Amino acid sequence: MAEDNILSDDLLRQLISVGEVDILVGLHTHNHAKTIGHMVQVIREGLLKYFPRERVAVLNADGGSVDGTPELVRAASITDLRRENSFYTLRTLHCISSQYGTNVSNGTAMHIIVAAADLLRARACAMIAPESSEIRPDWMDQLLGPVYRDNADFVAPVYRRQRFEGILVTNLLYPMTRALYGKSIREPRPGEFAFSDRLASRLVGHPMWSQDAGRLGPEVCLTLEALAEGHRIVQAFLGPKGQAERPAPDLVAALRQTVGPLFWSMENANGAWSSPAEAPTLLTIGPAFDVGTDGTANIDLARLHHLFCSGTKDLESVLKSIVSADTLSQLQYAASLDQAHFHLSDELWAKAVYEFASAYRRSVISRDHIIQALAPLYRGRAHTFVTENLNAAPDALGERIEALCVTFERFKPYLLELWSAPERGS
Amino acid sequence: MALPKVPLWYKDAVIYQVHVRAMYDSNGDGIGDFRGLAEKLDYLQELGISAIWLMPFFPSPLRDDGYDISDYRSVHPSYGTLEDVQLFLRAARDRGIRVVIEMVLNHTSDQHPWFQESRSSLNNPRRDWYVWSDSDTRYRGARIIFLDTEMSNWAWDPISKQYYWHRFFSHQPDLNYDNPAVREEMWNVMKFWLEMGVDGFRLDAVPYLFEREGTNCENLPETHGVIKELRRRLDENFPGRMLLAEANQWPADLLPYFGEGDEFHMAFHFPLMPRMFMGLKLEDRKPITEILQQTPKIPDTCQWCLFLRNHDELTLEMVTDMERDYMYDVYAHEKAMRLNLGIRRRLAPLLDNDRRRIELMNGLLMSLPGTPVIYYGDEIGMGDNIFLGDRHGVRTPMQWDGGWNAGFSSSDPESLYSALIMNPIYGYQSVNVASQRRLQHSLLSWMRRLLQVRKSTPIFGRGNIEFLYPDNHRVLAFVRQFGEETILAVNNLSASAQAVELDLRRFKGNILVEMFGRNIFPRIGELPYLLTLGPYQFYWFRLRRI
Repeated sequence: MAEDNILSDDLLRQLISVGEVDILVGLHTHNHAKTIGHMVQVIREGLLKYFPRERVAVLNADGGSVDGTPELVRAASITDLRRENSFYTLRTLHCISSQYGTNVSNGTAMHIIVAAADLLRARACAMIAPESSEIRPDWMDQLLGPVYRDNADFVAPVYRRQRFEGILVTNLLYPMTRALYGKSIREPRPGEFAFSDRLASRLVGHPMWSQDAGRLGPEVCLTLEALAEGHRIVQAFLGPKGQAERPAPDLVAALRQTVGPLFWSMENANGAWSSPAEAPTLLTIGPAFDVGTDGTANIDLARLHHLFCSGTKDLESVLKSIVSADTLSQLQYAASLDQAHFHLSDELWAKAVYEFASAYRRSVISRDHIIQALAPLYRGRAHTFVTENLNAAPDALGERIEALCVTFERFKPYLLELWSAPERGS
Repeated sequence: MALPKVPLWYKDAVIYQVHVRAMYDSNGDGIGDFRGLAEKLDYLQELGISAIWLMPFFPSPLRDDGYDISDYRSVHPSYGTLEDVQLFLRAARDRGIRVVIEMVLNHTSDQHPWFQESRSSLNNPRRDWYVWSDSDTRYRGARIIFLDTEMSNWAWDPISKQYYWHRFFSHQPDLNYDNPAVREEMWNVMKFWLEMGVDGFRLDAVPYLFEREGTNCENLPETHGVIKELRRRLDENFPGRMLLAEANQWPADLLPYFGEGDEFHMAFHFPLMPRMFMGLKLEDRKPITEILQQTPKIPDTCQWCLFLRNHDELTLEMVTDMERDYMYDVYAHEKAMRLNLGIRRRLAPLLDNDRRRIELMNGLLMSLPGTPVIYYGDEIGMGDNIFLGDRHGVRTPMQWDGGWNAGFSSSDPESLYSALIMNPIYGYQSVNVASQRRLQHSLLSWMRRLLQVRKSTPIFGRGNIEFLYPDNHRVLAFVRQFGEETILAVNNLSASAQAVELDLRRFKGNILVEMFGRNIFPRIGELPYLLTLGPYQFYWFRLRRI
């Protein structure tokens, strides 16, 4: 069993003490001392408010923090040795922490949490991103309630995003996931989500964990696995997510964490997305889309344009092996336009992304190089999206994203055609 | 035969609570009596108890099961005569069993001659033996205890045209303890029974003796003055006798009732009992350890009295709203199981007749610090009848055998004071003393063994307690120490097997001897001591350095 290897002896000892639980909340930290204390307090408050009778535990998988993060998590325990004067609890609440190594890996951390959830037979497990600064106690109810009380298998979040927050999600992950599986999962790379014991037992031995996809982008893999297997999925509106002040990953790293796992999952679950089975209707608790009015784009459009143009030129030989001649020609034409006239259409973008996915499957070159080669195209697309929507009202922005989704869906037959084409040279 | 003079005998005691009416009917009238009770003393001696607590047996209209007394110096005719009481007391003493009786200080029946005189006119000499008022608005700070039946603590007396004060039922007027004559008379009542040979009193409803405006009329300083005076007289005239307080209060509020060892010898630890049930259902030791952490140290000569069930409802007054809701949901899902702020059920039905849970709870009762009280019938796992009114469902006749009237009475079944339990699970054909006596592994046999082990050492009654806090919260582990002796108790509160690591390094070098089977467990070393326990299993280990 996979969990035999993934759980350290130290963690196993702690899990023995925790015993079977109804609800588990997983955290994956690395030097989050500035924020984790508050976060665990909020989680605890939410658990005690919404699940006062249930057996609950908080498990932190830590990537080798040296700032005291694990100690802050453990300090939130409520036991007969450590009582809280501010509120009364029926039960012991274990907050445990275990270090899994010195190489930070969300995938390893989440695998540990999934394995622990399975081992402790948690009926519902929530995963919380440690940098979510806007966390509120009711997140526990929103995320865990549908699983614990209403038999859902997976709860994905809906956040209140600022206008140009998460362009990679709105312009690639969301429309492509929707085109593949026919479900409007707004956040295919969720910071927060919850899953059932049924899903945990399927996930614990999943091949994703031994792949780059699972190591780098486990959230995407988990979401797509839930979709591919036709599990009952619910979306829950959590409001603004916020981000603690930590350096954002560079674009290539972000692509490795999102697009890489997406492409890998497509390959892993080919049959599931090529002809998706009938699945239960996607229920969304709260608004399915919400955009803040703040957040005028603080985006360097000139730089995006420049990097698109130079990237298209510099990577011509690479792109030749990935995209079709027609697509390359259209990209090169776009690169020839000055910034004022630059435009990378929905159609060109959807088609190019599908060709990248197909190339990834066929491994025409190193898969990592394929992912890296997408970076300049994404910059061009981001430029277009921001330019088109600089003054768009929230509703108009939603309509634009909807139009893009429709384009991805319209081009799905093209993807299927590419996907089923014989290997080159065969 | 005189009982040995052991001043702190109550610390080592195991008390058996019974109503005379419920034990055995010697004259075939359908009601248990003192002669019947005397006949069953051999059984109680065999069980291993060392004291009996008798519920009220005085003349009474029986509108509150005898807690409405109409004559303090006599015996209800259904239960026998004063001579029968003397016979019973002698027989108990011959078997080394002490007898504690009930004394209802706070109130009388409205049929008591004192009250009849008091209400007869405003000028009657006994008028101020009770608390009278022209208005029903005094003492508004006092809560109403019997919420299900009473709307006010005042009741209108149509005869003398004033209100009288009652903290319990309206037919139970409160005595006026501001009146020295009342205080003197109640001491005389106690003296009457002490001279007859009883070993102590359980004083009922102690916190409510006085009323003062602007207070909740509970635990007032004047009450302690009365108790101190009673205790002083008791010690002077009847050394070695004991006072036990019934005061349903938080431990910190109970502490004053011990005074400096000059008020009560013992007091019931009410808040612990529901938390033992809660801990069991939650599979979490937290409720138990928390309440015991909050329990203050009491004078050396004093003792807590512990119980699992008694003649009343499982009271949920001393719990939070959240805890009460939980307890109702898990232990009293049917409305008929609830009464006032509590649950009117016996031990076995509360625990789904699960032998392992019954054993664990009795094991805790016998090993936590205090003097345990066993409610009659719980030693054989008797059931209850929630369809009988008030708390009568837990006061049904003792089930002696599977024959006529459960061996309780030779009368016609219709004339029994209460219907017998007859359902297929708890009925007397299934659950009775005779059948359990024949089986070596019956609950009764197990209880006898439990009491033997408990009595094999004074540590359980007199030792201190120190909780171990293993990471596994389903395991309640503690060390009891008295003199040179040390005992380790480890209890699995969960329905599944558990592993637990105990930090016993300070006992390094000792071996563990399991007290029931006397088997030896490995020697304690530097490493955490690993134990595994089956569902609801518990161990008592004696630590020995050999």
